Amino acid sequence: MDKDILIEYLPLYKEALLLTLKIGWQGIILAFVIGLIGSAILHFKVAVLKSIVGVYIEIFRNTPLLVQLFFIYFALPKVGIQVTAEACGVLGLGLLGGAYMIETFRSGLEAIPVIQTESAESLGMNNFQVLWHVILPQAITISVPGLLANVIFLLKETSVFSTISLMDLMFTAKDLIGMYAKTIECLFLLVVFYLIMLLPISILGALVERRMRYGQFGD
Amino acid sequence: MNKKLVKRLTGGLLVAGLVGASLTGCGSSSSSSDVAATGEDTVEAGSNAGFRTLDEIKKSGTINIGVFSDKSPFGYVDENGEYAGYDVYFAERIGEDLGVEINYVSTEAANRIEYLQTGKVDIILANFTVTEERAQEVDFALPYMNVALGVVSPEDAVVESLDDLGADDQIIVISGTTAETYLTKNYPDIKLQKYDAYAEAKTAFENGNGVAWANDNTEVIAFSLENEGYTVGIPSLGDQDTIAPAVTKGNETLLNWLNEEIETLGTENFFHADYEETLLDTYGAEYEETLVLEGGK
Amino acid sequence: MASLGIDVLFKGTNFLRLLQGLWVSIEISLISVVLSILLGLLVGVLMTVNNKVLHAILKVYLETVRIMPQMVLLFIVYFGTTRVFGWDMSAESSAIFVFTFWGTAEMGDLVRGSIKSIPTIQFESAAALGMDKVQTYFYIILPQTVRRLIPLSINLITRMIKTTSLVMMIGIVEVLKVAQQIIEANRKTSPNAAFGIFLVVFLLYFIVCWPISRLATYLEKRWA
Repeated sequence: MDKDILIEYLPLYKEALLLTLKIGWQGIILAFVIGLIGSAILHFKVAVLKSIVGVYIEIFRNTPLLVQLFFIYFALPKVGIQVTAEACGVLGLGLLGGAYMIETFRSGLEAIPVIQTESAESLGMNNFQVLWHVILPQAITISVPGLLANVIFLLKETSVFSTISLMDLMFTAKDLIGMYAKTIECLFLLVVFYLIMLLPISILGALVERRMRYGQFGD
Repeated sequence: MNKKLVKRLTGGLLVAGLVGASLTGCGSSSSSSDVAATGEDTVEAGSNAGFRTLDEIKKSGTINIGVFSDKSPFGYVDENGEYAGYDVYFAERIGEDLGVEINYVSTEAANRIEYLQTGKVDIILANFTVTEERAQEVDFALPYMNVALGVVSPEDAVVESLDDLGADDQIIVISGTTAETYLTKNYPDIKLQKYDAYAEAKTAFENGNGVAWANDNTEVIAFSLENEGYTVGIPSLGDQDTIAPAVTKGNETLLNWLNEEIETLGTENFFHADYEETLLDTYGAEYEETLVLEGGK
Repeated sequence: MASLGIDVLFKGTNFLRLLQGLWVSIEISLISVVLSILLGLLVGVLMTVNNKVLHAILKVYLETVRIMPQMVLLFIVYFGTTRVFGWDMSAESSAIFVFTFWGTAEMGDLVRGSIKSIPTIQFESAAALGMDKVQTYFYIILPQTVRRLIPLSINLITRMIKTTSLVMMIGIVEVLKVAQQIIEANRKTSPNAAFGIFLVVFLLYFIVCWPISRLATYLEKRWA
């Protein structure tokens, strides 16, 4: 391996990491919001909306992100819907992630015993108060390990952004290999940067999982 | 107390270490095999993944040729699933004269050098422009086509000079092409929008994702002729270059054979016939003499 | 509708080629899943063995799979290994290798989980009956885990089929690449083909993956 080349390419990878994180986090926040709303709809069995959410989950869990992105980015403009590459990346990641987040939150919601809802109601809380003060804080806490797993999954999925011209880590590596054929150095930096991005989250996941176990009472 | 955490942390570090070590290891071993490859032409088959010599190819009965599968009219797949185009017409003839079957390998621009260096293909015949940087990585045979860079843009907003681009205007290029290298080097301030495949770049350009598309002028001229509403505002940018077949560095037997083949084909005006068969529909007769290079000169 | 490019599908053998491309994806997934299940059983059993060195190695392996995107692994195996070891792996075998590498880790973790959930008394009873370790695993433990694993491995199939869309990047002509080729060859006559063709590819993936994931959910509920 050539050290000079590594140093020369380093700034390009840093830039790519920032872009990956920028789009990644926006997409994850979108996914988070979709997840909260969608799981609430499913949990409270809201008519009509419930079936829409169901169809949405099935569609986005059963098609690859790459194909979703291709469709949004290359096909939709043909019928007059223009999306920039960055918006497409955020949207694609958010929609895909949302479908997974809903399931994660829902299992969090389901884990909370009915008696808590009943007790809260008997204290005179209304539906929204029950949800906001009693159910959600617990449900989100229970979902945290699943959520972090989703975050890692989604940040990994950003590697397909390269196909819609977003200069993420994967694209930078491919592009440099194509131009200068320094394959070894490029692949090495690629691995290192993914580790920098994802290892801390993976560690955080382990930490949270341990903490959570202390947080549970009785059982 | 933090046992699990520590474990995972060490796990991660070990991953980094292992990958690093294996890649470093490979750096040195690949360079040593390069030396072996250039020094010795008749390495035993299988022992060296670098390349296959002419004899090995003939003996195996199949040649692997890397072509584009989405770059009409040079290399594409027609509606019956057959490879076709200017490059493919030449490839067919190579197969015929070598007396072997052809296995076409669909390549993207950015993979071309990689494919040769890792021996995944014997020859790249994918509109490969001869440049100094590339010549350090692969061996080019005699050229068979002229090329320069060109820039195509929509008729209602023609880009005639790269200097009058707005600060936010993006130019579409394909990753691993000479257009990309040229613009990166000479116009570092222009924002490039890069795609892997020709099909993706063209669709994005049609969709209006960039103000212009820079590529080989052959390609952008073809695009403006085939699609209404586009003009080649900059027909020639940078140096006049040539396009040639490429083989893995050091594969002299195959290189020499290709050079002789191109010279011989010159005597029968093969590439003119190729042009008339594959490019005439797109370009008309007027580009024949500017594009075609016969007998390697 | 003609302007949206659906008609392009019926030209020549276009639609057939799309289906062939899809089959390439499915084939790679199926082979990888079968290999993953077999190797995953082995890795899962190994994970329950009390050996520090073994444990560390498997830990590193799992963490690698957890953190590295499949696309990165594909590139490393396809381009990297040729340079490191001089292996000339075809794109297809690289893809199967990477998918099996990934699937084995997932399966292994699942197998470990289900073995752990089997009460210790069963191991002890088996030992009391005079069975050795291999016999215990083969006759007592594994049969019980298999049932729990089937829905999960079916799920893995859909995830693999979805991930095969990446193999286009290492030059395998699968459904997405065929789609691009068709769009390119017909750009002149139907400039909007991108819409119709990508829509069809989208639907094709859904039609293949949806029934499989329904089946997995069904089995999971029934056998839980």
